[in-house]
Amino acid sequence: MNNTSVKKRSFIFLAIGWVLLLIGDRVDELVLSQGALVATYALAIASIILLTGYSGQLSLGHGALMAVGAYVAALTTNNLGLPPVIALVLATFTAGIFGLVLGFSVARLSGPYLAGTTLALAVSLPTIANQFEILGGEQGVAFDIGLPPARFGEDFSLYKWFFWICALAALIMIWFISNILASRYGRTFRALRDNPVAASLAGINTGRVKVLAFALSSGVAGLAGGLLVMLISGVSPSAFPLSLSFLLLTGAVVTGVYNLKGVMLGGLILVAIPEIAESVVSRIGGSEGFTVALPGFLVSALLILAVVFTPNGPGHLLHKRKH
Amino acid sequence: MNQFITAVLTSLSSGAIYALMSISLVLVWRSTRVVNFAQAGQAVFTTFIGYEVTIRTGSYWVGLFVAVICGGLVGAIIDRFFMRPIFKRVKSGPIVMIAPVVATLGLLGLIQSVIGFIWGFNYVSIEAPVSTQGYKLFGTVVAFSPFNLMVLIVVTIAMLLLTLLFQKTNIGLALRASAFSPEIARLSGIKVDAVRTLGWAIAGAAGGLAGMLYVPGSYLHPNAMDVLLIFGFIAAVIGGLDSLFGAVAGAMVLGFAINFAASYVSYKLVFTTAFALLIIVLLVKPNGLFSSSKGRKD
Repeated sequence: MNNTSVKKRSFIFLAIGWVLLLIGDRVDELVLSQGALVATYALAIASIILLTGYSGQLSLGHGALMAVGAYVAALTTNNLGLPPVIALVLATFTAGIFGLVLGFSVARLSGPYLAGTTLALAVSLPTIANQFEILGGEQGVAFDIGLPPARFGEDFSLYKWFFWICALAALIMIWFISNILASRYGRTFRALRDNPVAASLAGINTGRVKVLAFALSSGVAGLAGGLLVMLISGVSPSAFPLSLSFLLLTGAVVTGVYNLKGVMLGGLILVAIPEIAESVVSRIGGSEGFTVALPGFLVSALLILAVVFTPNGPGHLLHKRKH
Repeated sequence: MNQFITAVLTSLSSGAIYALMSISLVLVWRSTRVVNFAQAGQAVFTTFIGYEVTIRTGSYWVGLFVAVICGGLVGAIIDRFFMRPIFKRVKSGPIVMIAPVVATLGLLGLIQSVIGFIWGFNYVSIEAPVSTQGYKLFGTVVAFSPFNLMVLIVVTIAMLLLTLLFQKTNIGLALRASAFSPEIARLSGIKVDAVRTLGWAIAGAAGGLAGMLYVPGSYLHPNAMDVLLIFGFIAAVIGGLDSLFGAVAGAMVLGFAINFAASYVSYKLVFTTAFALLIIVLLVKPNGLFSSSKGRKD
C-alpha cells in the first residue's frame, strides 16, 4: 500500500470529521438524530458495497447480520454492564465471526445461490430469534446506553451524543474499509469479481477470499446494527424486516455499487425517502394502504430506475459524459 | 400412528404447494438464468385478482381459472416489457451479474406496494370450495381436510399437464431445447425470445395456482407469499435448480422435513428446519439432490 495515499485518505477523513463536528454544534435535535441515522445507514451501505461491489457477491440478508450485531450490543450492555463503545466493538467482532461461519457454507456459492440463501436467512433469523428467551421474544430487549458523560457539560444532549457515536463509528469504519480496499486484499477482491478464473490462475484462493470478504462485511453490518438499535433504544425481531435489507441494497445500488465514495449520499437518500413519502401523503392525502405502501413504492421505484439508467452508479454516468 | 398419518398427509399437501412455487422459480431460471424473486409479488397480485373474481361471481373455481390465466399474462408481460429491456440495457460493468436479480427485487417491492395501494394491508381470506374441517380418523379429528385433498389432486393434475406439455408437444421440445442450449436452439429455428416469454408465462400461471391453493388455508396480504417464495427457493435448490422433477422432489423433501419437525418436535422449528436443510444441502451436495446436470457454472 502506498504510504502517501494512506496519509491523504486519513487527512480527508479527519477533515470530514471536523466539518461534521462543526455542523453538529449548529443544528437542532431533529437534524442531529437524522444525522445519526444517516451515518448508520451509510455504514450499512458501505458493508454491502464492500461485499457486492468489490467482491461480486450479492447478499440480500444484511438485515439479519445487522440483527446479530444489534442483539450482541444490547445483551452485553444489559447483562454485563459494559460501556457502549466496548459493546459496539464486541458486536462488530461477533457479527464478523457469525459471517465467517456462515461464509464457509454460503460464500463459496455465487450469484443466485448466495442471494437466495441470504434472503432465506433474512426471513428466518428474526423468527428463530423469537424462540430464545434471552433474546426477549417478540418484544425484544431494551438497549439504553445511558446519558452522555458528564464532562461534556450540561447542554450536551442525548441526540448529540448519538450523533457523535454514529458519525465517529462510521468514519473510522469507512476509513478502515477504504484502506483495506486499497491494499492487497482489495486488489484480490476486485480480481475475483472481474474474473474468477483468472484470479484463481494467478494464485488467489478464491474460496478463502470470498469467505474473508463475507466476514468483513458481516462485521461492519453488525456494527451498523448495533448503532441502529442504539438510536431506537431497543432491539426486537421486527426492527430487522426484509424491507431493511432491500432498503440498504437500494442505497448501495443508487450510490453506485462499486464506489465507496457515495455512501453518505446513499444514507441521506434512505433517510429522506420516508420524509418525502410523509410530506406527499400530507399534501394529497390518500387511503391507509397508500400511506403505508408509499415509502416501499418509492424505494423500489428508485432501485429499478437506478438499475435501468445508472447501473454503475451516478459517478460512472458523470465519468462517461466527460469523454 | 394417528400423528404419523397426519404428518404424512399434511407434508404431502404443503409439499404440493411448495412444488408449484419451486417449479415457477425453476422454469424462469432455466429460461433466463435469473431467480425471479418477484414471483412472490406476482403470485399475490394474481391471487388478489382471483379473490376479487371469487367474491364477484361467488365461485372459487372461476376465481382459480382467472388467477391462473392472469398469472400467465403477468409473467409474460414482465418478461417482455421489463426483463428483456433490462438485459439489453445493462451490458457492462460489474453490475451485470447482479442487475437482473436486483431488478426482480425492485419489481417485488413495486408489485407489493401497488397491491397495498389497491387492496390495503388488511388480512383477507378466500372461502374454500370444500370443507377445511379435518377428516375423522380412528375417532379423532386429524389436521388433514377435504381441502388439503383437493390441493393434492389439483397439483397432481397440473403436474401431469406440465409433463405432457414438456414431453409430448413441440412447444415443450422448444422449451427444453432453449433451456439446454439457447444458441443451438436459435440455429435450429426456434424463436428463443418468444419461448423464454412462454417460460415466464407458465411460471406465472403456476405461481397464481399456488396462491389460490395456499390462501384458503391461510390469509391474503401483500407479503403473504414471501415465506412461500423462500420455501420454493429452498425446494428448488434441493432439487438442483435446473430440473422440474428435482423441483417437485425437493418440495416434497422440504414438506416432509418441515411438517415432521413441526409435528414431532415443535411448530416453532419450521424456519430453523428449512434453513438448516438448505445449508446442509449446499454444504454436502451443492448441485442438488436430484440434479442431472454436472456442476454449476453460473
